[in-house]
Amino acid sequence: MEFDFSPVITYFPTLLKGVGATLLIGLVVALMSIIGGQIVAVISLYTRKVVNWPLRFLIWLFMTTPLLLQLYFLYFGLGQWILIPAIAVGVLGLGFHYMAYNADIFIATIKSVSSGQYEASRSLGFGHLATLFYIILPQAFHRAIPQLGNNMIIMVKDISVLSAIGIAELVYLSQYAISVTFRPFEFYITIAVIYYLINLLMETGQSWIERRAAARR
Amino acid sequence: MDINLMIEITPLLAKAAWVTIEISARALFFGFFIASALVALRTARILPVRWLARSYISVVRGTPYFVQLLLVFYGGPAIGLRLDPFTCGVVVGAFNIGAYMSEAIRGAIESVDSGQSEASRSLGFGRFATLRHIILPQSAGLMIRSIGVLAIILVKNSSLVSIISVVELTYQAQRLIGSTYKPLEVFALSALMYIVILYAVMGIVEFLYRRATRYTYL
Amino acid sequence: MTQATDTPMVELKGVKKRFGDLEVLKGIDLKIDRGKIISIIGPSGSGKSTLLRSINNLEMIDEGSILLDGVQVNRPDLKGLAFERHINHIRQNMGMVFQHFNLFPHLSTLENVTLAPRKLKGVDARSARELGMELLERVGLADKASVYPSSLSGGQKQRVAIARALAMRPKVMLFDEATSALDPELVEEVNQVMKHLAEEHMTMLIVTHEMAFARDVSDWAMFMDGGVVIEENTPDHLFSHPDQERTCHFLRKHLGNPG
Repeated sequence: MEFDFSPVITYFPTLLKGVGATLLIGLVVALMSIIGGQIVAVISLYTRKVVNWPLRFLIWLFMTTPLLLQLYFLYFGLGQWILIPAIAVGVLGLGFHYMAYNADIFIATIKSVSSGQYEASRSLGFGHLATLFYIILPQAFHRAIPQLGNNMIIMVKDISVLSAIGIAELVYLSQYAISVTFRPFEFYITIAVIYYLINLLMETGQSWIERRAAARR
Repeated sequence: MDINLMIEITPLLAKAAWVTIEISARALFFGFFIASALVALRTARILPVRWLARSYISVVRGTPYFVQLLLVFYGGPAIGLRLDPFTCGVVVGAFNIGAYMSEAIRGAIESVDSGQSEASRSLGFGRFATLRHIILPQSAGLMIRSIGVLAIILVKNSSLVSIISVVELTYQAQRLIGSTYKPLEVFALSALMYIVILYAVMGIVEFLYRRATRYTYL
Repeated sequence: MTQATDTPMVELKGVKKRFGDLEVLKGIDLKIDRGKIISIIGPSGSGKSTLLRSINNLEMIDEGSILLDGVQVNRPDLKGLAFERHINHIRQNMGMVFQHFNLFPHLSTLENVTLAPRKLKGVDARSARELGMELLERVGLADKASVYPSSLSGGQKQRVAIARALAMRPKVMLFDEATSALDPELVEEVNQVMKHLAEEHMTMLIVTHEMAFARDVSDWAMFMDGGVVIEENTPDHLFSHPDQERTCHFLRKHLGNPG
């Protein structure tokens, strides 16, 4: 066996582009899934059954089936009815998937906060919505931070799966380079190293955020 | 919904679902031994061994399972590692879940109050006997539950081996969507099968958990 | 390993123990003759619990030596498995009772008592059961044999823990604040069991907060503070006419007035 990492160096600009795409997708999906997750959680907790049952069913469905299956369904399914670019399918698919996971966390933390805090707030004269927005949600978000961080770290690793539906992120772009250079080992090792570094950065960021959040208590 | 089509494709999907079960079960089985070995290595007396085990766990947890799969399947031949797709799925799955499981096992062992091992040691039990008679029986419940969570992740991760063309549930679903142009029907059926597998796993886990923690309500 | 009867059952010579920069035992000497009972009192953080735990090697001492019936407990010359084997053997001859009982929650009361004799001495199931029942009888809990620890009161748990320690027929019993975690009304039942042991001439080392009990039951009493033995004497003398100002101060705080 003989390793030759020079193709990796030749294609490094391509890989960097892939890293950029991966990070951008990660950012969009993180925002979408955290904001959306909170909205979904609130709706599924505070609306009538007609509204919240279908929503809860969707959360459950997203959590009990594999991401790739969901992506295939959206990709081929939506593609039948509307013309939608793969990148949109990828971002939406990943976004919905993690929106469900984040909503699940928010539902739990909102429940844990509102027992006790809700009555205290209402007794002060806050209305239902005011209580929700000023008292419950900020605390619920605070409590959700560690688990949200974990989810987002897992999510970034799952971006690699988007290559399966042809989205030009890190893995997909490397696969192009591999098809030209025939150096799969070298490229996949490089991707693994890049991912490991991203993961390390995210874990450092997570513990920084958690420390700051803990200090604010 | 095209019911006739759904009935028609059920056997195909069921067969594929069995492959999903088989690949996950094997990976879980081997993963358990890898995890136990990692737990032992992490407490080894030789520092580099401990360090190596920890690095392995960190690297596996810090990189995507999907990339690990591609690396071993496509990159493996470069270092003389040629595996057929199914075996590759089992091997990568086992080594991946093993790293996570070693953390789960360690966590469960550490959750037992230190007074328990002190009491056992003070009676004259050695390290291993203490682990076997005192610590493991008390950490089994938590261990089973955490391994259950990992087993579910393993089943969902097994969908990724469709990329290296193992004909498991997701691979078959994708192929059927392509050939029938009925994404909803195919998705509904294959999702249902994943859900059945998942709830079966959860049922088994609950059963084992109750057995392991029977002493708490005796 | 039984020695001539004039060998002390437990002997400590110049025992020192550090946790990082903090020296918690600053050279302790102690001798317990067979059948005798020594109580150690002192404020929390005085090192009395560490001393007791060191005898069982739950804490490894840094200097000095500990002997059980003439056999050295700490063996800096032994490493790894050799030390492991040595200490496991030594510990089988010592019974230790903890503040928080540390009963094995996954085993019934009887199994808690019989586990060690069965697994370590190879006692067969029937003899172990007989032994276990006899010991539970002695601590007044024979009717709780098949019950699990979670359904016992604190006092009952501690009595089972004592039976468990006795099951290995130890040469000495070490009590580490055995009644400190108990509700006041449960202290007496545990004290009673310990008194019975005293009447049977069990060698005991008792770390305690119960001044009255210590005075009542022991042959010798020690007052520790800051990792050293400040004063030791017969209980009557130590509790009534302490020679040292610090002992006096401590006793006044805990008894109202000494004597």
